Amino acid sequence: MEYSVLQVSPRLRSFSLQPRRTKTLFVTALLGLAWTVGIAFGLRTLLAYESTPGTIGAVPRQWPSTSQIERLTNRPTLVMLVHPRCPCTRASVAELAQLMARMQGKVDAYVLFLKPRQSGIEWEDTDLRRSAAAIPSVRILSDVDGVEARRFGAETSGHTLLFDLDGRLLFSGGITEFRGHAADNTGERSIESLVNGRTPARTATSVFGCALVKRSQEGDKPGWLK
Amino acid sequence: MAKIAEQSLQSNGWTDRADELFQQHRQEIYRNTDQLFARLMLFQWVAAIMIAMTISPRTWVGQSSYIHIHIWAAIFVGGAISIFPIWMTRAWPGAALTRHIIAVAQMLMSVLLIDLTGGRIETHFHVFGSLVILSFYRDWRVLISATIVVYLDHFLRGIYWPYSVYGVLSASPWRSIEHAGWVIFEDIFLVISCLRSIREMRFVANRTAALESSEQNFRQIFEEAPIGMAVVGLDSRYAQVNASLCNMVGYSEEELTSRTPSEITHRDDIDKDKQLTQRLLSETTRTCVEKRYVRKDGEIIWATRTACLMRDESGKPRHYLAMVEDITQRKKDAVALEEAKNEAERANRAKDDFLAALSHELRTPLTPVLMSAAALEQEPGIEPELRRQFGMMRRNVELEARLIDDLLDLTRVSHDKLQLLFSGPVDVHSLLAHSEQIVHSDARNKSLVLRLELTANEHHVAGDAARINQVFWNLLKNAIKFTPAGGQITVRTANPTPGQLVLTVSDNGIGIDQQTLPFVFRAFEQGDIRGLQPCSGLGLGLSISKAIVELHGGTIRAESAGPGLGAVFTEELSTVLPFPEAQIQASQPRRFRGKSHRLLVVEDHEPTLAVLTRLLRDQGHDVMPASTVQDALALASDHTFDFVISDLGLPDGSGIDLMMQLSNDYGLRGIALTGYGMAEDLAKTERAGFLAHLVKPINVDQLHRVLERAQVAAG
Repeated sequence: MEYSVLQVSPRLRSFSLQPRRTKTLFVTALLGLAWTVGIAFGLRTLLAYESTPGTIGAVPRQWPSTSQIERLTNRPTLVMLVHPRCPCTRASVAELAQLMARMQGKVDAYVLFLKPRQSGIEWEDTDLRRSAAAIPSVRILSDVDGVEARRFGAETSGHTLLFDLDGRLLFSGGITEFRGHAADNTGERSIESLVNGRTPARTATSVFGCALVKRSQEGDKPGWLK
Repeated sequence: MAKIAEQSLQSNGWTDRADELFQQHRQEIYRNTDQLFARLMLFQWVAAIMIAMTISPRTWVGQSSYIHIHIWAAIFVGGAISIFPIWMTRAWPGAALTRHIIAVAQMLMSVLLIDLTGGRIETHFHVFGSLVILSFYRDWRVLISATIVVYLDHFLRGIYWPYSVYGVLSASPWRSIEHAGWVIFEDIFLVISCLRSIREMRFVANRTAALESSEQNFRQIFEEAPIGMAVVGLDSRYAQVNASLCNMVGYSEEELTSRTPSEITHRDDIDKDKQLTQRLLSETTRTCVEKRYVRKDGEIIWATRTACLMRDESGKPRHYLAMVEDITQRKKDAVALEEAKNEAERANRAKDDFLAALSHELRTPLTPVLMSAAALEQEPGIEPELRRQFGMMRRNVELEARLIDDLLDLTRVSHDKLQLLFSGPVDVHSLLAHSEQIVHSDARNKSLVLRLELTANEHHVAGDAARINQVFWNLLKNAIKFTPAGGQITVRTANPTPGQLVLTVSDNGIGIDQQTLPFVFRAFEQGDIRGLQPCSGLGLGLSISKAIVELHGGTIRAESAGPGLGAVFTEELSTVLPFPEAQIQASQPRRFRGKSHRLLVVEDHEPTLAVLTRLLRDQGHDVMPASTVQDALALASDHTFDFVISDLGLPDGSGIDLMMQLSNDYGLRGIALTGYGMAEDLAKTERAGFLAHLVKPINVDQLHRVLERAQVAAG
């Protein structure tokens, strides 16, 4: 025996449009509508934020000569600029760990953690730094006041650059394609192709992460608050 | 099994109740699961906030930080997802829409949690776990709603934010189908599980409905039973009582269930009651007793109480079941019946006494006439005409005596007190010849031909010769009576099988019609049967004859081809071996040739006393007459006697008392000579010491034979 969607049972509760039930039904319809719209709006906002990439600065075509970081000459060098407290960058570091595992020593990497000059040791003491430090062939460095980030044109945490043996820029961008989501992505596959001598799908990708530097007044806030 | 149960239910018309139970159960599951999800939703909401606060509490811009969007998403989107379904569980508990909204919300919660955890694969298990929990509803449609949400989520993300779900920029449309496929894979088994659960619920509902109906039937039987029923606990208190018992003892159900059976049992029956209860525990499985209860109003009622001990499956006693039937009225009826029976017996005794007295009074005057007529008929030297007249007198007196005997015999038959005196093998042929001689003159007077064709080789039967002769005499007299002048009567004997004697008395008289044939052996029926004017006699002969034949183990029947075609009476008896010839000769009656005796004759009827005295003296006896007890005692004290022949009803006492006194004082033996011929009278005279009991009227030959036997018996 089938009943209508709001009918419980013909014997237990014979559904009829009594005044009180009519009011409840009306409220239910309103709430249902608000519920649908609210959830749709909320999820859309969330997904829109998470799919919106960060900014990218002026990326040099050659290894910056002013950089204090020693470029390796026997293998390609990968540089990732990271905000140590950015939760979104956990995905980028996780992807870096997978990438380095697949490279099997064909590339060396530097992960530069932003460190304000006046900050204490607790600034950098994060799970993100510890995760990065655990990746083989990865050197962890502090980037005081984001000087190196500016030299490499990185404005968003997770920005990754690949240089060849001659210091030429091969790739620039993120190795996640959604904010905070670790998964197979174009940037990672492109880097892998470049290191292995194949033609990459892309040489530049969007970067998803926290802002490394404050560019303007509006930039004080994350994108979804603008 | 479920199918058989369902068919049984349908045949008993209980499907409505089964359906109601099924719906109740399903509603209960829906509501309970609604509540489960209401709590789960709340928990997931809090968990989402905690996850966001743990994983991504803040987002950063350089050295500045802000609350991460995940926090707000967890609070607001999570709240939006949770609150409406929770509200639905309050507003529409158990409704189909509620559980479908919950299903949608649960899947949306999976979307949120997966997002908050950065798309961790582990969080995807929330989807599969949620489907399992949704199957708690046992409504497979809910799974479809949830699956549609999953598919739409993947489909829309695949279009607008493919990387958020597939990790590639341009996802194939088949990816969304593939992802949904895994969900459907789980759905298939959950749907099967739901359908099985529904079948089991239906089965349980059917069984429950059947049990309810059965219980209701038994309860109705218990409640509405026309006899009192009670369940008594092992603590000896009434646990349940029905209306009949309450009405019987006058207590309400509440009053009775607060009492013990002993409290309403008559105090004289309490011990017996307790003993029976103990027997139930130790010995027997059922007891039945008649006992008294004391009603609330104090009235005592009688009841039959049948009790048994009910045990559980392990054999441990559970309670007693008692059935109480009010037999008060039956008891009263039994008392009334007993009183009526006693009254009837008293009346019967009075009637017997009256008959005995009547018999005595009727016989007594006949005695001197019969004795005188018989004696004079035998007197040598009288004229033939005079002898014939004396013979006529004798026969008529004998007929009169026979009518009185028939009345007495009928009384004996009706009381089953007709007794036989078995005297050894009786020669039926001799008795028939004797009977023929008796009725020969009657047949001759009506110009009837009476023939005997006695062809049976085995013609001896065990029985009372006098009674058998009575039967033959009745049959012959009957045939003569209903055969017109010039008719023919034939008596035949034969042995159709060894050991069986068949005797037929056939006539060509007026016959018997078929309607009245079955009643010929009923008393007082002769006039009706023959459809003619009443003939002489009382119509008792055939009735008495039937009783006598049956007492001998034989049968008697009447046959007739119809009115005017005569009748055949057939008697069947079992034969026995005859005595040796010498013994037969010895047992033949012979004329008194013994020694003379000194006789004391006590008789208050003067003519009888005179005739008896004269005849006995003529036979050579030394006779002293007395008409009272006192005279008799006086004579006994002065003279010596061999025997006393005494009447029983004497003016100054009883012949019984006289005999007892004479026996005690002088060792005298006696012969009772009385008109009282009932069985009780014979028993009394035997107890008093009489050697023989002669019923008036008698002739001298009878008296001689008795004296001869008395002499032998007295030594």
